[in-house]
Amino acid sequence: MTAQLPLRAGPPGGPGPRRADAAVIETTALTMRYPGPVTALDGLTVQVEPGITGLVGANGAGKSTLIKILLGLLPASSGQAAVLGLDCAREPLQIRTLTGYMPEHDCLPPDVSATEFVTHLGRMSGLPPTSAKERAADSLRHVGLYEERYRMIGTYSTGMKQRVKLAQALVGDPRLMLLDEPTNGLDPAGRAAMLDLIARIGSEFGISMLVSSHLLGEIEQICDHLVVIDGGRLLRADSMTSFTQVSQVLLVEVDEGLAELAAGLAARGLRPKPEDRGLLVEIVSPATYDEVRDTVADLALPLHRLEQRRRRVEELFREERA
Amino acid sequence: MTAENGALPTSGGVIHDIGYRRYTGPRLGRPGIVRALVWHSLRSSVGIGRGAKAKIIPVIMFVVMCLPAVANAVSVAQGGHRLVPYDTYLFQLRVLVMIIFVAAQAPELVSRDLRSHVLPLYFCRPLRRLDYPLAKLIAFTLACLALIEIPLLLLYLGTITQAHGPGAIWDQTKALIPGLLVGVLWAVLLAAIGLALASLTGRRAYATGSIAIYFFLTWILAGLLDNIGGAGRHGPPTGGAGTAAAGARLSGLVSPFTTVDGVRQWLGGTSRGPIPPPGGYGPLYGVMFLLLLAAALGILAARYRKASIS
Repeated sequence: MTAQLPLRAGPPGGPGPRRADAAVIETTALTMRYPGPVTALDGLTVQVEPGITGLVGANGAGKSTLIKILLGLLPASSGQAAVLGLDCAREPLQIRTLTGYMPEHDCLPPDVSATEFVTHLGRMSGLPPTSAKERAADSLRHVGLYEERYRMIGTYSTGMKQRVKLAQALVGDPRLMLLDEPTNGLDPAGRAAMLDLIARIGSEFGISMLVSSHLLGEIEQICDHLVVIDGGRLLRADSMTSFTQVSQVLLVEVDEGLAELAAGLAARGLRPKPEDRGLLVEIVSPATYDEVRDTVADLALPLHRLEQRRRRVEELFREERA
Repeated sequence: MTAENGALPTSGGVIHDIGYRRYTGPRLGRPGIVRALVWHSLRSSVGIGRGAKAKIIPVIMFVVMCLPAVANAVSVAQGGHRLVPYDTYLFQLRVLVMIIFVAAQAPELVSRDLRSHVLPLYFCRPLRRLDYPLAKLIAFTLACLALIEIPLLLLYLGTITQAHGPGAIWDQTKALIPGLLVGVLWAVLLAAIGLALASLTGRRAYATGSIAIYFFLTWILAGLLDNIGGAGRHGPPTGGAGTAAAGARLSGLVSPFTTVDGVRQWLGGTSRGPIPPPGGYGPLYGVMFLLLLAAALGILAARYRKASIS
């Protein structure tokens, strides 16, 4: 049966049946209690805009539970959730037609080639045979798998397996991708490559993304928005720019006389904080640069490094909570 | 890591990245996706798309199952009569072939996906929870059906080539139809039981073992009980009640194979079966068949209803 789904009738490239500026994910007082009783989500109300959104929280904060509810795989105890304007409880099949999901854990059979596997899952996303084959090849190319895609998945490295997981989420041409801890188990280089890939799919392909991670410092590099949850509650949801507005800092490193420099900066009203072998100074205005330069010059210290840094959101939270 | 970071290889000329292409074509609805999964599973249940090794058992079992039909064709061509009854076929051979086929291939359909935790990738697609086991069940029932019915059809073809006149052909056809229906009972029940047992473990060897043990043990047990129940095993079948002791007539309820055969005899099958005719206990065999089928389907549904999502 090749019935055209009615929700495909919208303008191509649009984020579903709703207006383009509408939230891709919207939850209202969403609560999930498991028998136990364990409360995984506790009155979560949040809106996620199009673009790349980081879903951050410690392990057990409720990230995976939220994703399962959004996919319509788990009924919420109370509250509402909608994805692309579709109700998660009532229209799960339409939602799953428009979303791609990358699970956290290993989910690949070892004795099948990536091409075969992603093609099959393309079929399972509703693509006709020829389109499934084409899109599988495209998706694998987009995630950076070329000739190796004909090899058995069992022979792949962890990084390549993560790419296959990403490709299978991409194969159905989703409007929204839900990625659960996509950098799990990767080495630092692999993490950076995976994040690059996600950023590229999110920005160049115009597919909205919800990327969960328990590592804030890692995910903030690629996100437009950030949703931070803790114990099933919303801690903060905002755009990255508003997170980083107050987070410009200057790193000053001198070969010697660090204590003198700290005293000198403090005397000018700047509040330096020790960091590694240097000092971090908050940039309150462009004049801050001049004051730091003058302090170093006045004290005749051997300046080693002067570097503008974006303070990590993680540090902001540490301060906010303290 | 051998894969480069999303960059296109640039050596040996410029390769233009055509960029991301949206899919604007038609999409199959849920029924279409289930049908695709049935087709995919049917292929893998007979080893297609799985490499040469996966085809060994299905092919050998099919050939073995066809041997009586071939022997029959030869015999009929030399002027003999039909050697093999349609409604029981060669019972012992069929039991053996089906045990091996189901024990080997049911795990291929469900245990692999359980083992490698692929299920979340199905559940996050436009399918309902029970569509997955439903598709597997349809596919495996079709595979078992092919293994049982194709030899029956060969038997029929081999016989009617030498039949004289439409009357003789019609006689053969009339005898074939109940045989085909009995084959459906076999396929439906064995496929359901095989998949239910296989779905309980992700370990292929355990799945194969549990299926083989269940089928063999119950079959042997049915034979033992029949012997203990005594009487009625010698001489031609009379078909009448009271020729065998009650114990012997109930012994078939223990095994799925003899249960199906009890149903066959209850519904009027005349060929001699592995158990004495159930006589008045016939309806019990019908009930037992439905109970076994319901239990298998229940296990299968429960297994996938509570399967972990991630």
